[in-house]
Amino acid sequence: MKTITKEVLQDAANRLLFTMSDEQYDTLMGEFKILTKQMAIIGEIPDLGNYEPMTFPFDCTTSYLREDVPVAPLTREEALKNAGNKQDGQIKLPKVVG
Amino acid sequence: MDMLDLSLAELHQALVEKKTTPLELTKEAIARAKANSDNAFEYINEEGALAFAATLTEPEADNPLWGIPYVAKDNFSTKGIPTTASSNILNGYVPVFDATVIQKLKDAKAVMIAKATMDELAMGGTGTTGHLGITYNPYDPSHQHEIGGSSCGSAVSVADGIVPFALGSDTGDSVRKPASFAGLVGTKPTWGRISRYGLFPFAPSLDHVGYFTRDVYSAAVLLDVLAGRDENDSTSSTRPVEKYESKMNEPIAGKKIAVIQEIYDSLADETLLKAFNHSLDVLKEQGAIIDFVSMDSTLLESLYPTYMVISCAEATSNDANLDGIKFGPYRGGKTYQEVMFNARNEGFSELIKRRFVIGSYCLMRENQEELFLRAQRNRAKIVESVNAILKDHDAIYLAAAPSVAPRFDQSSDRLSDEYLMADNHLCLGNFAGLPSITLPLGFENGLPLGVNFMTGAFQETLLFQLAAAFERASGLAELSVRNPKEGNL
Repeated sequence: MKTITKEVLQDAANRLLFTMSDEQYDTLMGEFKILTKQMAIIGEIPDLGNYEPMTFPFDCTTSYLREDVPVAPLTREEALKNAGNKQDGQIKLPKVVG
Repeated sequence: MDMLDLSLAELHQALVEKKTTPLELTKEAIARAKANSDNAFEYINEEGALAFAATLTEPEADNPLWGIPYVAKDNFSTKGIPTTASSNILNGYVPVFDATVIQKLKDAKAVMIAKATMDELAMGGTGTTGHLGITYNPYDPSHQHEIGGSSCGSAVSVADGIVPFALGSDTGDSVRKPASFAGLVGTKPTWGRISRYGLFPFAPSLDHVGYFTRDVYSAAVLLDVLAGRDENDSTSSTRPVEKYESKMNEPIAGKKIAVIQEIYDSLADETLLKAFNHSLDVLKEQGAIIDFVSMDSTLLESLYPTYMVISCAEATSNDANLDGIKFGPYRGGKTYQEVMFNARNEGFSELIKRRFVIGSYCLMRENQEELFLRAQRNRAKIVESVNAILKDHDAIYLAAAPSVAPRFDQSSDRLSDEYLMADNHLCLGNFAGLPSITLPLGFENGLPLGVNFMTGAFQETLLFQLAAAFERASGLAELSVRNPKEGNL
């Protein structure tokens, strides 16, 4: 397991696409001190290798073919409602290539 | 006592007999919402609610929600109404569709008067982390006590008598814990019983739609309306919907109720213990069989870290779309990475960033087996233990929290059994996806205490039967700040 250092946490924040202040990292390091002790409790539990990782409380298999029913899509006005920058009925983006 | 302080059943009767109208009720609910000083609302839907209520002129005798005002947590998608999940990353976002539960309530002609504050993105249990600041407990006018979270504003709405019910969401205990701190009935049905289409995901393997009411009957009839298969949510159950209130008046004699000894032993609050013990005697008097059962204490101590690892890891992945491009205000940048950095830097509070880093750390390749997958294996073992208890018992019954609502300046020893077990056991219902209900038990220094029942999967009718029997004994149905009661326990 990776040792928890400020650099490791900075790397995680960088992958998550945000930054944090030195003070915030100090708080997080303090939080990890307790969390690591709490997480160690899971390590004390025997026979976990006999259990499959549980991803959902119970199986819920959905298998059907939807009827091909025509539905009205969003109108242009609705689709553009949350766009911050728009022009001529389209979303306007900053130039990112060339 | 005003019309709005009547029970849902009485209110329905008054509407059917035209003693009041949806418009009058909506006006009164909005007036109460505006007068509330607990920071419970993101948005008051005054114009929309009044316009909708004005269209409701012919009462529907067989529709208990007709014309009833309600509040929704701000993580339900509401068409044309701003929805932020109390996070700056979603400021200005106006959904173009309704969540299935919002649509169902609209179809039932219930009137949504407001969107409620919450812990940011539902990731918190204190009601202190939303972008509008702290939400307060209406039982403490001095504003020194939490109401809990993450569904804090929804809890205030019902506890302060603003509406008879409010929607929330529950990933660890986010409806059932604040219900305990606010003297309310807080319900989380079986995972998959209510569609989550349009509920902003936090940790989908644990997320549930839940709700607050002031009595068990309202909780049962609400589930009648909200439950059911939804083809927009592939995890919603195809099981038929029941009449969940159908056994509420049946006796509970012979029902086997388990109390987990280790969680009971971790309680330290004497007033709570006294009231809880009294409630056990009362349940016995009604013919219920109370069994103290044992569950491995290390397994119980591992509930909270298991929850933290799984929920933070799932959240880290889920919220990757909040990036200033797909969702969130555009804050500029020369490259798309810079655009995302700027949006996420300014959009997320410190707490959310910390939770994401914890999730990311647990998901790192070197840590995944030892942290994330081990937590998921441990979840399987926890669920096996809970289901083993419920194989021989109708329900598990426990104090919902170790005390009344904590003060904001109060901190607990996060390595103690009281914290790890008594304060965090409600997530058992999320791990196993089991139906679970919190009910008011009594008071300590004017603040409410609560208990919780949990039954097997899809046994909501049984859950409401047990809860109704408890409620008759407690005498605390219809409790609110405006309708104070002492109770019998």
